[in-house]
Amino acid sequence: MTLPAHIAAAPSTTSSRLPTYAVVGNPNCGKSTLFNALTGLKQKVGNYPGVTVEKKIGTTYSQHGQPVTVIDLPGAYSLAARSPDEAVTRDVLLGRRADTPQPDRILCIVDATNLERNLYLLHQILDLGRPVIVVLNMMDLAATAGLNIRVGRLEHLLGVPVIACEAVNGKGIVDLRLAMSRAELSLARHAWDVPAAIAPAVAELQASLTANDRKAPLIARAEALLLLTDQDSVRVAGSTPLSPRTTEILQGWQTRWSREGTDWAALLVNSRYESIGRIASEVVLPAGDAGPTRSDRIDAVVTHPLWGWLVLGGIMTLLFLSIFTLAEYPMNFIDAQVAAFSGWVKQAMPPGDLRDLITDGAIAGVGGVVVFLPQILILFFFIGLLESTGYMARAAFIMDRLMSRVGLNGKSFIPLLSSYACAIPGIMATRTIEDAKDRLVTILVAPLMSCSARLPVYLLMIAALVPGGRVPVVTKVGIMLLMYALGTFGAFGFAWLFKRTLLKGAPPLMIMELPPYRLPRIKDVLLHMLERAGIFLKRAGTIILGISIVLWFLAAYPKAPEGATAAQQIEQSYAGRAGHALEPLIKPIGFDWRVGVGLVSSFAAREVFVSSMAVVFSVEHFDSDSDKDVAPLLSSLRHATWPDGRTLFTPLVCLTLMIYYVFAMQCMSTVAVVKRETNSWRWPLFQIGYMTGTAWIVCFIVFHAGRSLGF
Amino acid sequence: MTPEFQTLAALAVVAVAATWLVLRALAKRRQPGCGGDCGAVSPEVKRLQARLRR
Repeated sequence: MTLPAHIAAAPSTTSSRLPTYAVVGNPNCGKSTLFNALTGLKQKVGNYPGVTVEKKIGTTYSQHGQPVTVIDLPGAYSLAARSPDEAVTRDVLLGRRADTPQPDRILCIVDATNLERNLYLLHQILDLGRPVIVVLNMMDLAATAGLNIRVGRLEHLLGVPVIACEAVNGKGIVDLRLAMSRAELSLARHAWDVPAAIAPAVAELQASLTANDRKAPLIARAEALLLLTDQDSVRVAGSTPLSPRTTEILQGWQTRWSREGTDWAALLVNSRYESIGRIASEVVLPAGDAGPTRSDRIDAVVTHPLWGWLVLGGIMTLLFLSIFTLAEYPMNFIDAQVAAFSGWVKQAMPPGDLRDLITDGAIAGVGGVVVFLPQILILFFFIGLLESTGYMARAAFIMDRLMSRVGLNGKSFIPLLSSYACAIPGIMATRTIEDAKDRLVTILVAPLMSCSARLPVYLLMIAALVPGGRVPVVTKVGIMLLMYALGTFGAFGFAWLFKRTLLKGAPPLMIMELPPYRLPRIKDVLLHMLERAGIFLKRAGTIILGISIVLWFLAAYPKAPEGATAAQQIEQSYAGRAGHALEPLIKPIGFDWRVGVGLVSSFAAREVFVSSMAVVFSVEHFDSDSDKDVAPLLSSLRHATWPDGRTLFTPLVCLTLMIYYVFAMQCMSTVAVVKRETNSWRWPLFQIGYMTGTAWIVCFIVFHAGRSLGF
Repeated sequence: MTPEFQTLAALAVVAVAATWLVLRALAKRRQPGCGGDCGAVSPEVKRLQARLRR
């Protein structure tokens, strides 16, 4: 066999060190599912594009039990990167990243249901001259769609191993491991001639990249092709700049072609597509016209301009209804266990500070948050189900109509959606957005989406606002939906404002692939749910425990003189003094100094507000026969008063407090991530200012409007 | 367990908790992020990344 000249100098893979594999492919072709199947890790997977935005590293084992490193890279349609996440993939494959060794071999995952489109990336990867294993994933879906894919023919045409696979069912993984364990892998025999008009430029750039940028000859050729295709506009941290000489050559050729009117990028792309078309026509035997698929029929309803919104609203209502109804019994159980444990400690220990610290600080603080675990689990179970089926991409499609009107990029939907769980992965997911201004707008508004940390605050306030069985559960669901809607429309409103003032830009276009519907994989959904439970409990056992202990000290010291009441004790404590100092700022929106203590402490994490209230009100005990069936914290909140005897937590104040948490930037971790992603303190400080300022103004309006209406 | 001993023990626990919170905040300043709290990066992957860097 004669290899094309540009891949004649094959790198040796016979060293004693086992090769490092990079997993690459188009978005949503099953890379992370395959990565998890190979490594046994539990990276987040979802049936929508853009789940992975950073590289992930894991270890699998060869057939002889030797460890093999596998790097999971973000999905890309082409090595010509258009967004930061695609640039990560390109830079790792080209060996540009200082923090990651260039992979020795590449696992290219190809979606068998959409072979021709996926072959574009594979075609570019074969140019790199690295050993490649092609994984034809989703063969089951291709068969269902009636596609007949000639795996042997593809292997023959490309000259590299091609493994048919169904990663979600674990089929083909053994064959893949065997292929990965081979000491030698053949190099691709794909022949692709660069158009004659471009060839001299490719040769000159390749020579300069080899001489001046110290690139290996094959990588230099692939880089030269990329520089000519995409002009390499997106660079990420860690990637090395081009040498002045290479930049000069590139600009020289571009100027010359521009003068001559040569569309060099289109020439390259068309030439590649011609080659891909030839391969696809030999490999894929198309199905006859079978009419609309099952996914098409479902989409006719769920993406309909009217029915689509009704389906989305119905799903959200069902989600919150489940949160309120299904979680009631496990919550009561946890609450009873926490109370029993606290009672047991009180009986087992003599009175003293240590006993108070354990019961009023640690148990009250942590227990007050842990009681919301069942509701968090239900939320993530539903989110997992929706992600797994492919519905999320449809929700993005529906929302795009609204989002494009406010100037938000359609790709902003996934980051905003992720922010319902936590703003941090949401902000990281903005790396899929190509336009820098659109990305910044999304980062600025993502924390307005109601994250799961707000859930305990909402639930506590709803319980205080609409007590017991006196109101139907639908009212509670309605209030909860209102809070989520307020956050979402607040985010859209600010995006509209930013796109017209600070970050002006052209109206964005959205191109998003709608993946086929799949039955949810309950195992993945449960694993994701348990992972979230672990994270929630870890936070309760670490940061919330730590803050509760410190807060107990601040509420219990300095000690009041003998005979002082609990209320006098906390009033003259450190927490009380700090709260009183803050009170002039928050009194206009209906909050007293005790709420102020909660607002300040919950800047570490929003759930801390609940534990702060538990600690503050545990020190200030209330004993009431009328509330003997109610959780102690709720009882304390309902009996809390202003010094003049007015009730503190009126329904209006509860509503105002929820609205404050919808808008205020109450999360230290999010601030840190925004600083990292924008590489400046300017934007996170601006975000704190505009969000918290908005929260105060909206609360002021709601509180005073409510009072004037007699609430 | 006398009340005096309980006070000393409680203050020691508070001091440990406060020190831990301060150290955690300083560590975040050096390496900003959620510290794995958000679930975007699993602890297992972090360990593997650390091993690879070594």
